[in-house]
Amino acid sequence: MSDLEIYRSKAAAWLATMAPEFGRDARKGLTEADDLALGRRYQKAKFDAGYAGINWPTEYGGQGLTHLEKVTFDAEEMKYGFPNFYFGISLGMPVPVLMQFGSDREFVKERVLKALQGEEIWCQLFSEPSGGSDLAGLRTKAEPDGNGWKINGQKVWTSWAHYSDYGVIVVRTDPTVPKHKGLTYFWVDMKAPGVTVRPIRLAGGDSHVNEVFFDDVKISDDHRMSPVGGGFAVAITTLMIERYVATDSAGFGPHLDLFVDLAKDIALNGKLAIQDGRIRQQIARNYAMRSGLDSINVRARLMMQAGMVPGAEGSLNKLVAVRSRQKLSELAIDLQGTDGFAFDEHASQKEDWASSWINAPTGRIAGGSDETLLNTIAEKVLGLPQDHRPDKGIPFNQIPA
Amino acid sequence: MTILYDEGQQAIATESRRVLEARSSIEALLPLLESVGEYHRPFWDTAKEQGWTALALPETHGGLGLGLVELGLIAHQAGRSVSGAPFLTSGFGAAKAIELYGTEAQKERWLPRLASGESIGVIAFAAGPDALPSRPDVTLTGDLLDGVARGVSGGLAADVAVVLANGPGMPVLTLVDLADVERTPVAGFDNSRCLADLGFSSTPAEPLAVGHAARDAALHILGLQAVVTAHEQTGGAEVLMEIARDYALTRRAFGQPIGAFQSVKHRIAELYGLVELARANCIHAAARESAADFIIAAAAARLSATEAYDTAARDCVQIHGGIGVTWEIGLHLHMRRARSLAIEQGSSLFWEDVLVDRLAGEAA
Ligand SMILES: Cc1cc2nc3c(=O)[nH]c(=O)nc-3n(C[C@H](O)[C@H](O)[C@H](O)COP(=O)(O)OP(=O)(O)OC[C@H]3O[C@@H](n4cnc5c(N)ncnc54)[C@H](O)[C@@H]3O)c2cc1C
Repeated sequence: MSDLEIYRSKAAAWLATMAPEFGRDARKGLTEADDLALGRRYQKAKFDAGYAGINWPTEYGGQGLTHLEKVTFDAEEMKYGFPNFYFGISLGMPVPVLMQFGSDREFVKERVLKALQGEEIWCQLFSEPSGGSDLAGLRTKAEPDGNGWKINGQKVWTSWAHYSDYGVIVVRTDPTVPKHKGLTYFWVDMKAPGVTVRPIRLAGGDSHVNEVFFDDVKISDDHRMSPVGGGFAVAITTLMIERYVATDSAGFGPHLDLFVDLAKDIALNGKLAIQDGRIRQQIARNYAMRSGLDSINVRARLMMQAGMVPGAEGSLNKLVAVRSRQKLSELAIDLQGTDGFAFDEHASQKEDWASSWINAPTGRIAGGSDETLLNTIAEKVLGLPQDHRPDKGIPFNQIPA
Repeated sequence: MTILYDEGQQAIATESRRVLEARSSIEALLPLLESVGEYHRPFWDTAKEQGWTALALPETHGGLGLGLVELGLIAHQAGRSVSGAPFLTSGFGAAKAIELYGTEAQKERWLPRLASGESIGVIAFAAGPDALPSRPDVTLTGDLLDGVARGVSGGLAADVAVVLANGPGMPVLTLVDLADVERTPVAGFDNSRCLADLGFSSTPAEPLAVGHAARDAALHILGLQAVVTAHEQTGGAEVLMEIARDYALTRRAFGQPIGAFQSVKHRIAELYGLVELARANCIHAAARESAADFIIAAAAARLSATEAYDTAARDCVQIHGGIGVTWEIGLHLHMRRARSLAIEQGSSLFWEDVLVDRLAGEAA
């Protein structure tokens, strides 16, 4: 057994012992508040067992291991339906970015430790009503105010802002220069006076995203995590981490096995669906797509292990997987005929086809829409020309609205 | 019958659109999703008041003597406003079953009431995945029904059902008064469909057709409903295409309307293609109501309309970005309706089989 395999089997064994207390069944019927509390306890248990911040530096409470151990653990963890999504954004982007760019190191250390133990949650305040894809087009502004800054404006789609203690935020500090150049990156205290969080209800029924309003919110200059006017680069670093996190070839929907089981159970026009050519074709094509992504991911892991830099094909993960999840979920509903109509708002997207289907569109938008991802591949990977951008090089305050 | 709408038909389209746009709103529809067993009563009142329930039924029994073409036009408008109560389609199907296969007494008893909308009719053919099972779950012994008809659209509110049952060694199409039938609501992703399981226990039923004729009759009725539904789906797809276009014209990113991005522009143009193909198939199928190849035309309409509505729902949400997945904006009403209509009258898998069987000369 390789070291990594040993690591995997130890992790798997530990996770199995956690399942009764924190797994899917333990969560059934809990209110969101209770589920969050359970999630915090689970996160603490992970920390105590040495499975939090697996690839983070030990001086910040991490384990000092590599990305490989991290994704190995994640793959095993995914099987149990633990209440860990409350920390997905927090530990995924804002906290690592704080660790990299926060100036007051003692403060950073304290925050990171609390976040790793599930005590504090961070959110990412990038998108605005005026635009999410066009990140550099944001309008929330920070003006100098004494020794610090004063923030005014509105963010939107902020995941978990209603539970967050802190957030990282990009704001406009200079509207007279081209849009990328006038941005600055800060952290904010979500409980500060002038911050208002208002939940938005989503199509699937839940409300984990929010509008966040900033009304004369005062912050001191040590909240700044980039040079003044240099916020875009840090924002891009954050987004690069975000892309990298999305590696589930099922597109965060049900595993293909569940579809095969369904097809084995259901008779269509007098014969089992699993014998039906159309169904077989979809299973085969989905398998080929998913195995391709899995192989891309394994290869990336091996390359990293060997000290090489993985290729750009990792950027296909979310794009390809979520689109196909959406269609496979539709087909699964078709297969069940009128039985496919039944819906439980609280069912897991990873196990229930209707829930997977109704929530799939968010996956094609959040964390970069399909179109933005395709643009990135076309322009950054393949070197194709950029679209015409009338706002290029123009001072932000002169771009026609 | 011609496939060009005449003036009277165009007037039906314009008038029903005007009425429905004035009387339905997202605000009225959203709460229906959160309760089981409620439908949009103002829609049904409108349908009755405007005579839509009577439209395609014979004049001799209180109807207006028009046909699928006119009903389709109204269904198209109902689809545009996602309004609805599931009964326009299934009520029509149930009434047609009685008209075509019932006795004079059955017609006299039910047709005037169905025409006025005072009674609600539904069909119950499917057993879960199987839209038209050769051995249905519901059993007919003598003239009594037993068993459960699963997932009957409109079943929670209906007064009379046409049920495909398993008789002695063969299917039987039956007519059932639902007054004393046990109904279990089904909580689903589109609750305004009033879906229910109907539990029969020694429930009296009257046969409409027996054996092969029962299956043929059921397929014919399903075909009629499929064509009405295809119009509704096309209406939904059409309005989503328009909503997407309007949004692409106003929403700006990178200094321009998002409609200027080819990926967005082409997506909407592709929708146009899907909508127009579906519309053409619907018009054709409605005009073939009494023709020998009706079921082929119905299958084509149904398949293209299902594809159009599902795709339009997916793409319209996508073009809206984050705002597209919010509860209040209500695009999910269309998403949900696209899916419920996709499975209610036999899924695409079912209609593909019907179509290919016919084309290959293997009709069962
Ligand atoms: C569930 C959920 C959680 C989220 N969580 C967070 C969060 O925690 N923090 C945060 O900051 N944001 C978050 N987001 C926001 C997310 O990043 C944005 O929704 C996303 O970037 C799209 O932006 P938008 O909604 O403004 O759509 P828009 O940018 O307005 O896009 C509208 C449409 O135009 C297309 N489009 C835009 N530009 C181009 C182009 N150049 N070429 C082609 N097509 C284009 C888009 O693809 C889309 O189809 C979340 C979103 C969702 C749905």
